[in-house]
Amino acid sequence: MMAVVTGGSGSGKSAFAEDKILSLGQGKRFYIATMHPYDEESYKRVERHRKMRAGKGFETVECYTGLENLEFPQDAIVLLECMSNLAANEMFEESGAGADTVEAVLRGVRKLKSQVRHLVIVTNEIFSEAASYEGDTVRYQEYLGKINQKLGEMADQVVEVVYGIPIWHKGGKTGENAVE
Amino acid sequence: MEMIIGGAFQGKSDYAKEKHPEICWKNGGKLEEYQLMKAEGVLDFQEFIRKELKAGHDVAGLAEKLAEGNPDIVVVSQEVGYGVVPMDAFDRKYREAVGRVCTGLASKSKKVTRVVCGIGTVIKDA
Repeated sequence: MMAVVTGGSGSGKSAFAEDKILSLGQGKRFYIATMHPYDEESYKRVERHRKMRAGKGFETVECYTGLENLEFPQDAIVLLECMSNLAANEMFEESGAGADTVEAVLRGVRKLKSQVRHLVIVTNEIFSEAASYEGDTVRYQEYLGKINQKLGEMADQVVEVVYGIPIWHKGGKTGENAVE
Repeated sequence: MEMIIGGAFQGKSDYAKEKHPEICWKNGGKLEEYQLMKAEGVLDFQEFIRKELKAGHDVAGLAEKLAEGNPDIVVVSQEVGYGVVPMDAFDRKYREAVGRVCTGLASKSKKVTRVVCGIGTVIKDA
């Protein structure tokens, strides 16, 4: 099973995704952490997520670029968070895929999906605002938008989390409760 | 508690006033916390959060406080978390704080309606 969890900033999508993973039964749980911390704000962010995950039985695998190089056992239940960071790393880091970001990320996701039992990917809605961008920023929106569309095609379930409330765009259970 | 949310200029306030003609609405950007605790309904709740953060106040416990202190309030708030991460540190903090507080309020709300193009869709009705 593959699920995509999307939403805005501070929407409760991480908490929802973690609950989703816990609902998927037994198996070895892995958390693919994609945010490359570099300043106080980002270290705090990583810490907040670590606390949220504590006691939920995740083994954390850091992956800033090169998703396709990871290997997992067949009974793995994998949470990848967050696609918006992975795409930015591939675009802007020296070891990243640069112009080949979309394909490189999707190769990694296809391999993951074929390898593991369940895959939940958290991504981000960064596409609805008044400000317009140019250069790298608009290219970033374009790449992440393309990745999200492909993820939506590949996934069995696509859910947008609005302030903790799931809105199912594909698959999913109607009437599934909001995250408390 | 009830929430009405949505993007800017989607008709949230008009929708709220139409659904609740009995309410004396207050504007979030002009309220002190004790006034918020007594208000029947608040418009532009996100501006209350901005004002609190600007004043150096922590809003981490605001959702619980409001749910306990004023459980019947109707909160109208703009969704501000659907864009590219802002360059400015305060903007990032504000955007995330609105999300976290509103996620907390939504979990306490009996009803949450999202307004798009003036049309309200109930996304939670507990």
